[in-house]
Amino acid sequence: MSEKIILLVEDNADDEELTLRALKKNNIQNEVVIARDGVEALDYLFGTGAYAGRDTSNVPSVTLLDLKLPKVDGLEVLKRLRADERTKLLPVVILTSSKEEQDLLNGYKFGANSYIRKPVDFAQFMEAVRNLGLYWLLLNESPPSER
Amino acid sequence: MLARIQEQNAELQRARDEMEQHVIARTAQLEAANKELESFSYSVSHDLRAPLRGIDGFSQALLEDYGDRLDAQGKSYLQRVRAASQRMAELIDDMLSLSRVSRGEMKSETVDLGALAQNIAAELQSADRRRQVEFTIAAGLLAKGDTRLLRVVLENLLRNAWKFTGKNSTAKIEVGVDRQNGQPVYFVRDDGAGFDMAYAEKLFGAFQRLHSSTEFQGTGIGLATVQRVIRRHGGRVWAESKVGQGATFYFTL
Repeated sequence: MSEKIILLVEDNADDEELTLRALKKNNIQNEVVIARDGVEALDYLFGTGAYAGRDTSNVPSVTLLDLKLPKVDGLEVLKRLRADERTKLLPVVILTSSKEEQDLLNGYKFGANSYIRKPVDFAQFMEAVRNLGLYWLLLNESPPSER
Repeated sequence: MLARIQEQNAELQRARDEMEQHVIARTAQLEAANKELESFSYSVSHDLRAPLRGIDGFSQALLEDYGDRLDAQGKSYLQRVRAASQRMAELIDDMLSLSRVSRGEMKSETVDLGALAQNIAAELQSADRRRQVEFTIAAGLLAKGDTRLLRVVLENLLRNAWKFTGKNSTAKIEVGVDRQNGQPVYFVRDDGAGFDMAYAEKLFGAFQRLHSSTEFQGTGIGLATVQRVIRRHGGRVWAESKVGQGATFYFTL
C-alpha cells in the first residue's frame, strides 16, 4: 500500500498545501509527487526533462489533475497520457475549481476516470480527499502493467 | 413611370443590402460579446474560488493546530472568516447560474409545468419530512418554452414558497393558471410570510433581499434568475403580496 504513489498536478501553492494537509489528516501516508505545471507532470510520467532516466514502469496509482495549469493545461496533459501506451490506462481524477459543463464534458471525453470539484469548505474538501484516498488507493485495483 | 419603379426597386435593393450588412456586423459583435462573457464567467468560477479555498482552509488549519492558544473570541473570529468565505462561494455560484440562464441555446417545446412542479414539490418534501406543506398543482399546465429553463423558474418560485412558509406550522402552496385577456397567466401562490408591496420593485433585482438572512436564508439571486428566463421567453413576471398573508407570483410566457 505504501509504495503506491499519488501524482498531484497543482500550480496553486495554497491548494497544494491544503491537499497535502487533507491527505495527512486522513492518514493517507503514500508518497505524493508534486508537479506544478503540465510539463512537469508529463516529464514525470514519461521520464523526460528533469525526470530523465526515471523508471517509468513505476506509475502512480492515481493522478490528481488540476485543469488550469501553466504551460500545458490539464486537458492537454490528459490527452497526451491517453495517447501513450505507457499511460493510457492510468487512473486520472480531475480535481478542479470549475464545474463548467464544458470542462466536465471535455474531461470525460478525453478519458478522465473521475471529476471532482474542489469545495471551498475545507471540511468538505477533507471528506472529498478521504473518499478519493479510500477509493483509488484501497478499493480500486490498478490496471495491470502490460510489460 | 416604369423608370421610376425601376429606380425605386434599385433603391430598395440597396437599402436591403445595407441592412443585411448591418445585421451581419451586429451579429458578429454580439457573438464576440457573448464569447467574452463566457470566458469571464469561466475565470470567475475558477479564479475567484481558489483564494476562498485558501481563506477557509487555513482558518480551519489555525483552529485545529493553534486553537489551544486562542480564547473563545479568537476562535469565533476565525469561524466568522470561514462562514464569510463560504458565503462568498455561494454568491459566486449563484452569479454563475444567473449568467448561465442568459447564455446557451433556447428550445421551444411543449412543457408540462404541472409535472415539473410535482417533481420539484416531491424533492422539497423528501428533503425535509418534518414540514407539513400541502401542494395543490393543477393538471394539464401545458406551455411552450425551454424545459430546462422553465424548470429553473419553477424551482426558484417553489423553493421560495417553501422557504417563506417555513415559520408556519402548516402551509399551502398552489400552482395553477388564470386567464387574463385570453392569455394564460401561470401562478405560484403560498400562504407564508409575504412582503410589503412598497418594495415590490426591488424583488427581481440581483442580490436584492427583502428579508434579513438571519430571518430567511438566501443570496437574493433566485427571482433575478426567474425574471431573466421569463424575459427570454418574451413573457412577464410580477408578484402580489401582503405582509403575513402569503405571496403570489404570476408569469406569462
